[in-house]
Amino acid sequence: MRLLPVLVRLAWRYLWRNHRRTIIMLSAISVGVWAMIFMTALTRGMVDQMIKDGVSVLPGHVQVHHPLFLDDPSVSNRITIGDAELARAFDTAGFKAWASRVKVPAVIASERESRGVTLLGIDPAAEREFSFVSYDDVEGRFLEGADDNGIVIGRELASKLETEVGKRVVLMSQDPENEIADRGFRVVGLFKANMPAFEESYVFIGKQAAQKMLRIGDTTTEIVFLADDYRNIEPTFKQVSARVDSSLEVSRWYEVDTYLGTMLKVMDGFVLIWVIVIFLALSFGLVNTLVMAVFERVREIGLMLALGMKPASILGQIIIESMLLLAVGLAIGDLLAWATIQPLQGGIDISAVAEGMEMMGASSVLYPKLYLSDMIRANVVVLILGFLASLSPAWRASRYEPVEAITKVG
Amino acid sequence: MNIVLRLAWRNLWRHSKRTWLTIGAMVFSNVLLVFMISIQFGMYGLMIDNTLQVFTGHMQIQAPGYKDDQKMRQTVPDIVPLASKLREAFQTDTIAARGWAFGLASSEERSYGIGIFGVEPTFEPHVSSIPGLIKDGRYLRDNDATEIVLGAVLARNLRVTTGDELTLLGSGRDGSFAAAVLVVVGIFESGVADIDRNFAEMPLQSFQDIFYMDGAGHQVVISATTLDEAELLRPGIVAALPLDSDLVVHDWDTLLPGLKQAIQADMGSAFFMYGILVILVAFSVLNTQLMSVLERTHEFGIVMSLGLKPGRLGRLVMLETAMMGLIGFVLGAIAGALFTSWFTVNGLSIPGMEEMAANFNLPARVYPQVTPWTMVAGPLVVFLFTLLAALYPALRLHRLHPVEAMRAN
Amino acid sequence: MTAVRCVDLCKTYRQGDQDIKALDHVSIEIQQGGFVCLSAPSGGGKTTLLNAIGGLDIPDSGEVWIADQRIDEMSKGELADLRLASIGFVFQAYNLIPVLTAQENVEFVMQVQGIPAASRREKSLAILEEVGLKGLESRRPAEMSGGQQQRVAVARAIVSRPALVLADEPTANLDSKTSDELMALFTELNEHHNTTFVIATHDQRVMGYAKRLVRMLDGRIVDDIEQHAA
Repeated sequence: MRLLPVLVRLAWRYLWRNHRRTIIMLSAISVGVWAMIFMTALTRGMVDQMIKDGVSVLPGHVQVHHPLFLDDPSVSNRITIGDAELARAFDTAGFKAWASRVKVPAVIASERESRGVTLLGIDPAAEREFSFVSYDDVEGRFLEGADDNGIVIGRELASKLETEVGKRVVLMSQDPENEIADRGFRVVGLFKANMPAFEESYVFIGKQAAQKMLRIGDTTTEIVFLADDYRNIEPTFKQVSARVDSSLEVSRWYEVDTYLGTMLKVMDGFVLIWVIVIFLALSFGLVNTLVMAVFERVREIGLMLALGMKPASILGQIIIESMLLLAVGLAIGDLLAWATIQPLQGGIDISAVAEGMEMMGASSVLYPKLYLSDMIRANVVVLILGFLASLSPAWRASRYEPVEAITKVG
Repeated sequence: MNIVLRLAWRNLWRHSKRTWLTIGAMVFSNVLLVFMISIQFGMYGLMIDNTLQVFTGHMQIQAPGYKDDQKMRQTVPDIVPLASKLREAFQTDTIAARGWAFGLASSEERSYGIGIFGVEPTFEPHVSSIPGLIKDGRYLRDNDATEIVLGAVLARNLRVTTGDELTLLGSGRDGSFAAAVLVVVGIFESGVADIDRNFAEMPLQSFQDIFYMDGAGHQVVISATTLDEAELLRPGIVAALPLDSDLVVHDWDTLLPGLKQAIQADMGSAFFMYGILVILVAFSVLNTQLMSVLERTHEFGIVMSLGLKPGRLGRLVMLETAMMGLIGFVLGAIAGALFTSWFTVNGLSIPGMEEMAANFNLPARVYPQVTPWTMVAGPLVVFLFTLLAALYPALRLHRLHPVEAMRAN
Repeated sequence: MTAVRCVDLCKTYRQGDQDIKALDHVSIEIQQGGFVCLSAPSGGGKTTLLNAIGGLDIPDSGEVWIADQRIDEMSKGELADLRLASIGFVFQAYNLIPVLTAQENVEFVMQVQGIPAASRREKSLAILEEVGLKGLESRRPAEMSGGQQQRVAVARAIVSRPALVLADEPTANLDSKTSDELMALFTELNEHHNTTFVIATHDQRVMGYAKRLVRMLDGRIVDDIEQHAA
């Protein structure tokens, strides 16, 4: 340890002795690291957006249903606890946000067309925080309360139904006795969503209107809770589980939407594999550089050994040299990644492949997301693997016999 | 062996470790490229085939605007005679007419909104995989029977089995109320939850009666054996349309822009990754060849003073690079093909991929196919970039002065 | 006091398919303060003997003693410590670490020894002045002449006042004037600090400075004469 300053100084100077090689290697490392982080940021951005969109439609990071509801989304499988009782249980429990809602499949018909949709009977005040619809960005107006008698549909759906604000549409679904439950509603607003599919498949009515139409008293089909972050939902999950009857099913968002859940896991794995693949591609060059660097100064290594430097110090010197090379490359690569991602924070327009992205569940604007933790992870992986890759050349360098090294004709 | 070749070959092995490490970088990248390209293009083919054969077919004749709006009254008039005329004209069974509507299906216990196709029972099996996926009961038989087949999840949710009755409610072509009672005769299971949950099929003639279609339908589906064949069929189809109609012919990629774009988006990110790998190899080669040229400065000085032109030395360096690149190419392509072949036999499944795969009509386990093209495409690009990377060290030789060069080292 | 004692050293190298006896039953004893020249034609075994004394090369058989320590049975680490503490080396060429300046090269050994920076600096500047390199402290080897480089090497070898300095052809790359200056420096160190010098050379001029001249041939000592410096 005492020798560290000397070793670092030697390693640093040797690094720049063959500056061409070092610059080429630095370029390679920088490009590699840039690609690692840039790609990670794009992937993260995409998945984040997908989950944000997905979770916003679900919505709610933790959800409570009748155990059969997810497979058979019918009012028959509703939560039989009334709203008043729910409010007593959850209002004072300190949740970030919670809401109970009626969510069932339905058919909507205008005078010309009919479409299958998901009917959402909501209390707009309770869901403002986590709805995928911005209440203010609505043509016409959004629902004003749980007792609102109007309906808000997506713009895309309105165009397919050839309807508009002020016109009437009919909703059809079933009541618990499987009698057709239908009712006419006046369209009061048209909402916008990130993805056209959402605009086509969701319609909002007041919760009480829905309960009346479906003849379910003051019960609902779904209770949703918001956690602080979609990645950290366990505390909320536990809290909810402790408070609801065991006859109900409490699910995490990724259990409700397994596609999104899988996506998140697969992408995490993909990001790590990508970092490792790039490193491996770089490692050949790195080892090559070290082997050459050692080869060029076999005699000098011999000299240092002859002067009384321990083999361990030689080993350390080569490893430090490799680490310095990587560290500079990482710094440049990190900076490059930051500099290229920063201007793209506003979103990359990939609407040319919008419908393809939608098939994957992603929206047509990609917001690269540079997480410090991703950057640190890439850097740490490179340094650790780099250390391992340097061991062999460094070990060989430290094994030279001083005499042979000095007398070596190169 | 030619003396220049022999010289280049020997030079290559002066630092055998360095040469092998450089070749190693090439082989590593080549194996990855062969593997990934084999999987990638195999998957694209599967994605297209599997998706098109569910409902879409390779081409559809529709009313203008129907593709985007799917409104009931955007119809193809006299659709059955049109389909039959086309079948005759092209001597094929793989053309079928369809109608399509939304409705509320109600059983004893449940009601759900569904999408329902009116199909020609005789010809639908030639354009769609659904009739072949009946797992319970049978497919539709008579064109005017009031029967229906539905997806397995839908049947489960509606709590019906074959023999049960369903009430269908919807709006007809003119917006009027449409209702019918249909008998469930079959249940299909495609394995794709979306399809099994949301769709049903009934005979076209009954469909036309119930929804007041007046002989019209919404789409004539045309299937071909391959994408290329579909491409060839197209002009004939267009020419065969009634002269006075404004009907349009849509290819699969306009019908399902998402599919093509998903492929494009995936290709985009894949090519980015391939590009990075290739660039990293190029850096490796540049490094090695530049070192190799620099350490021979003295030697080059001597031969230049003997009268050898820098251009010839440059060619020597390029020849060395080409030899190294060729070894990397051959080893990489072979190793890549072997590596990939292992998965061709055993299949590759990424844990948790099922959901993603199902979204694109893909099986959970993929069997990449090595073709000559997937085997050499990647390595070839690596080889070209290898040569490109060696240009700088080779051209550098032109700046060498014999006397100064000899003084080096 | 005995500075170096070699007993019955043997060392055989294989070169091609021939065995070369570099040391063939060599015994020699050198007193503290000695100034010994080993002279032999190329391949005569002088470098091998020098390396054996310095612990750089382990003989096949025999004993090597430095002061009262037997070194041929020491571990590599112990040998490194011994060289660091009590032996200075001057090699024929490639003497300096090319990426370090003259001063840093001189300080190198002290740094490995763990001598504090201030003291290192003081000693290295003093010794560089003593060998006549004042003003060249921050030059790198490539910016100095062969003679200057060799003087830096000498400065490094003697800066921590080792009891024993081993030099292998120290004048091989020097002109006669520089050679004389170097030898004068060695002589002075030998006389003032009682440093023992063992110099392998076939330079007649160097031999002239030696107090004791040992001639070798085919790995054996053939002649061992005390002489008075010229």
